[in-house]
Amino acid sequence: MAKVRVLIIDDDKDIIETTGALLEHAGFEVHHSESVEEGIEMIGVTSPDVILLDIMFPEKKTRGFEAAGEIKESYPNIPILAFTAINREYAFDFAKEDIKAEEFINKPVDTDRLINLINKHLK
Amino acid sequence: MKQRAKIESTEYSDLAGVVAWFIQLRWIAAIGVFAALLLSDFVYSYRLPYKALYSLTGILFLLNSSLALYFFQLKAKILSRGEMSFVFHFQIVSDYVILFLLIYLTGFLKNPLIYYFVFHVVLTAFIFPRKAVYAYVISLVVLFVLTAVAEWSGWIPTFGSIPGLPTVSESYPTSFLYMFALVSTILITGYLITSIMERVEERGQRTELELDHYRRLDQAKSNFILQVTHELRGPLAALKGYHEMILKGITGEISEKTQKSLQRANQRTQNLLNIIDEMLDYAYMKSEEDKQYEIEDLSLKEVLNHNFELYNILAKGKSIKLIISCPSSLVVKASRDLLDIILGNLITNAIKYSSPNTTVTVNAEEEKDEVHLSVRDEGMGIEPEELAKVFDEFHRTRRARKIEQDGTGLGLSIVQKAVNMLNGRVTVYSEVEKGTSFHIYLPGYQQTTENTEVAVPGQDTDE
Repeated sequence: MAKVRVLIIDDDKDIIETTGALLEHAGFEVHHSESVEEGIEMIGVTSPDVILLDIMFPEKKTRGFEAAGEIKESYPNIPILAFTAINREYAFDFAKEDIKAEEFINKPVDTDRLINLINKHLK
Repeated sequence: MKQRAKIESTEYSDLAGVVAWFIQLRWIAAIGVFAALLLSDFVYSYRLPYKALYSLTGILFLLNSSLALYFFQLKAKILSRGEMSFVFHFQIVSDYVILFLLIYLTGFLKNPLIYYFVFHVVLTAFIFPRKAVYAYVISLVVLFVLTAVAEWSGWIPTFGSIPGLPTVSESYPTSFLYMFALVSTILITGYLITSIMERVEERGQRTELELDHYRRLDQAKSNFILQVTHELRGPLAALKGYHEMILKGITGEISEKTQKSLQRANQRTQNLLNIIDEMLDYAYMKSEEDKQYEIEDLSLKEVLNHNFELYNILAKGKSIKLIISCPSSLVVKASRDLLDIILGNLITNAIKYSSPNTTVTVNAEEEKDEVHLSVRDEGMGIEPEELAKVFDEFHRTRRARKIEQDGTGLGLSIVQKAVNMLNGRVTVYSEVEKGTSFHIYLPGYQQTTENTEVAVPGQDTDE
């Protein structure tokens, strides 16, 4: 069986390295990008089964939030798991419902739970 | 911005209030004048031009009635600044004219009531900017001087004064002294009240600026806390990721000793995350103290399942079984944010002070038209003398410190504050070494449409 391909888009290199290594260890094929623009380009090349997307980027707080909408426009069938370090809804200045993501995950996330969530959204 | 005209700077509703106040004052003045006239006419029988005086009083009543009608009937219609300004000038001018005629017909300079003009000057200075006040006051002075000159010269008739009072000699020096006293009083009053009003207004503006400054500081403070919290959680997420990588042997074989040390490091990292959450909650609730939370009907089971997802990892990490039990028909009237804060704090607390292989149970049920939510652990318990203090800010029991060094002592004070905001109450029962249970009572009800009275056990632990 082919490996499940995961694309991680996050500006934090260490999050890419750790999450990537843990997912690879669990048998996933992992691609990654540190910028939203490059990440969106990579979707066409790597055709991931699922995207892990950080929703807060340093250059613009809501960059990832917007990116989710852009990705959904071109690739409506790829599930997006939105990633954020903020774990209280009141701390966002935008509504969670407005983010076009299948799932909302707080960093740090337990790897077992992350894998469960990824599998849940693969059909 | 200095020297702003009061009419232009004042809120419309305040201006309308001043007009209403003036109308009220004028009623009192008109009644006073009428009573004084009756008294002097029928009791003291002074010789005064009563026909003219009664007519003037009548005009005053009529004028005020029209103003009152104009104002209260057309209350719904908002006047423009210009119209409002006209209304004010019209009132002031008509008041001056009527008072002047009343005083002139009762002896002018010889009538001591001429000093009533001071009241008019005070009110003029209260509503108009400096220039307008000076224009009014100087016109008044000119009017007085001209009238006095005309009287002395015999161009206009002089009316009798009140008998019994010392009459002003019509000789030049005494009259001059009377005139001087009156004119200086009017001028000084105009100057003083205008200056006082300007000072008061300046102070008001300063206070407004200070308030603004504090509001901005407060906003900056809460933004800062949220930003910092985000910046703190990010690195810790990466740190936990590396811990997990090493613990799973991804980076290479590790000794049992390293594993133990790393597990401890991982636990302290988790504690730090919890502390950040607590501080974030605390800062949020402090910065939003006057905020009206949106209370909605929430399915408690849904909220509990979400929280189970979040905290079961924590429980599993300590080999603690987290059980959630709630009928799916239970509805709680609460704010989602606050409910998450309450559950998050209570569940992490319960896990933190429990030993491995014990159970943390979250139970919800309807009880006497309320929702009774309890979080029970089989942990270390709280000593009776400490129980009363557990909800105090920054309070941590000595035993809690011994078991887990990290903590802010804010968690339970946050819970209590959030419960109060939701019009609920919270109680605690505890037995040392047996366990602790927190009980929260919130407004809510059991949906009767479906008959699912059976408590559906929440998701059990995965293994």
